[in-house]
Amino acid sequence: MSIMEYNGGSVIAMVGKDCVAIASDLRLGNQALGISSNFQKIFPVTDRIYVGLPGLATDVTTLRERFRYRVNMYTIKEEREIEPETFAHLVSSTLYEHRFGPYFIEPVMAGLSKTPSGGLKPFIAATDLIGCLNFAKDFVVAGTASSKLYGVAEGLWEPGLEPEDLFETISQTILNAVDRDAYSGWGCIVHVITKDKVVSRTLKGRMD
Amino acid sequence: MENLFAITGKGYVIVAADTTSARSIVKMKVDEDKIKVLSPHLLMAYSGEPGDTIQFSEYVERNIRLFQIRNTYPLGPSAAASWIRRSLAESLRSRKPYAVNLLLGGYDTNKHEPHLFWVDYLGTMTEVPFAAHGYGSYFVLSLLDRYHNPEASLEEGLATLKRCIAEVTKRVVVSPGQYKVKVVDKDGAREIEI
Amino acid sequence: MASSSVYSSPGFDFSNQLRNNFLSEKGLPLPKATSTGTTIVGCLFEDGIVLGADTRATEGPIVADKNCEKIHYISESIRCCGAGTAADTEFTTALISSNIELHALHTGRKPRVVTAMTMLKQMLFQYQGHIGAALVLGGVDATGPNLFTIHPHGSTDKLPYVTMGSGSLAAMAVFESSWRPNMSRDEALTLVKHAISAGIFNDLGSGSNVDACIITATHTEMLRNVEMPNQRVEKEKKYGFRRGTTAWKRETVKSLIVEEEITHVLGEAMDTT
Repeated sequence: MSIMEYNGGSVIAMVGKDCVAIASDLRLGNQALGISSNFQKIFPVTDRIYVGLPGLATDVTTLRERFRYRVNMYTIKEEREIEPETFAHLVSSTLYEHRFGPYFIEPVMAGLSKTPSGGLKPFIAATDLIGCLNFAKDFVVAGTASSKLYGVAEGLWEPGLEPEDLFETISQTILNAVDRDAYSGWGCIVHVITKDKVVSRTLKGRMD
Repeated sequence: MENLFAITGKGYVIVAADTTSARSIVKMKVDEDKIKVLSPHLLMAYSGEPGDTIQFSEYVERNIRLFQIRNTYPLGPSAAASWIRRSLAESLRSRKPYAVNLLLGGYDTNKHEPHLFWVDYLGTMTEVPFAAHGYGSYFVLSLLDRYHNPEASLEEGLATLKRCIAEVTKRVVVSPGQYKVKVVDKDGAREIEI
Repeated sequence: MASSSVYSSPGFDFSNQLRNNFLSEKGLPLPKATSTGTTIVGCLFEDGIVLGADTRATEGPIVADKNCEKIHYISESIRCCGAGTAADTEFTTALISSNIELHALHTGRKPRVVTAMTMLKQMLFQYQGHIGAALVLGGVDATGPNLFTIHPHGSTDKLPYVTMGSGSLAAMAVFESSWRPNMSRDEALTLVKHAISAGIFNDLGSGSNVDACIITATHTEMLRNVEMPNQRVEKEKKYGFRRGTTAWKRETVKSLIVEEEITHVLGEAMDTT
């Protein structure tokens, strides 16, 4: 049992056609004992950026506060909203700053970034606990169910999913992956980010 | 073994804590009050390393009071919980951290709703409808999964709490005998005899 | 916690270390960071350097990234391949790249490979191997082509052909059998591709595609995914779910459209003649 498995929890993000989705389970545990079935691990950063923080629960809260502080400072100084790529580097450097005494969190980010032509482009990224960025084009996963999420997502994901189809794909991926993980589950939440709205749905999941 | 329980209901939070103070295998005291009234509408039950519990709870109590004196209004339940969590998280990064687990029950006098927070010594915090610390939690949490009702009246809530205490007394090998029970609702915090 | 200042001090922050030691003493082992099992190589040819790398990033037995970039930019004609702890190679090369740029601006000259090598080895030596970056540094400067390996503890080698990472043995076997002095550009590139392929197919820590970078006195060519021997075949069937498959309990929709209403003010337009 490592510190990363102490509280349990998993997050996944996926790219679709002009949209992205990010999903997490809702369990907070103390090793095998379930404490809460409504522990949020995904937080909005801006209207179009969400960050998921699976790992040690105390660090979920601490890092959430830290990122909110740093993003607010960025917004005030730059007088504009942070872009997903910039936010990914902010996350990465915050974690690497703690290279020799890390936070036990593996962040997952999803958002829509502005293109020079004024459009919006899907963006997802994940880092390890010391901030090594992974920009994937399809999906990124983290948490205690990550190995299962890799497998299911690899099988289910396909390019060019419309928002409603992406919702089904990411929902089925996380539901089935966390059912094979003892430390994740107890319900799931999915956020689908499109250019004009964010749809957040709480899924009906197994409670065992 | 120490046990803390808490249940939310319709407009109230019930917080219960055992009253034993044990050193090793010896019961030193059987009438200890482990629930502090932090502000008119906020209760904090604590357990953990003896000494740390007293030190930390008094530190919290005085800081919450200081806020109220300075600002003329008390911290709300979630604000107080955030501050207490942060104190624990910072303490954990010091040479001698406080090993204290908490349950925070409060009544939000602005929104008129009860709040309950589960906090452990690592600085983990989550808002829950019912919570427990200690070995009793293994029994009580499953019991409350079945019997907790967020719309229950205070009488019904207390009846549920009694079931919890009875279960722990019956099933846990080293279970404490007596419990102190406090309630917080729109009228403030008060102790209740069960 | 040292977070109240807006301008935090540069360098590493050790504020979590006491806590993490405390947690590991309680019997919760600390997790290991992402380590890149890797094959990286570099070799000299008649008018420059060819660097090569695979594109697999691993987290223990899991392939974390199937197409990552391991050839990092140092300056226009200096590049650096990284193996070892992924975050360390990423941040060390970024830091040195930044310092090399400042150095070039300060001296008004094009930076030399030895300068980058010295900066890297001094930094890695200072951290006594705790920064787990194993590097292959190559480039062309005023002194000609230069190729180095830098180990995590700060030792360096200057050789005509080098390999590093978990696939270094497989790649070195190829170099040892086929490398010759004064090869042509195409011969050198083919050799590097073979060396990386040896790593990709024989070392479990390496995989996916071949990246290469050819640096000559006049030109640097980054060949991203120059060889893709492990392309995934298209799925034979669609695995999409019918809409409405997933049962959900609650939905909240946050509209991002800012409502805008334009009210035309009636009246005469201002006379601007």
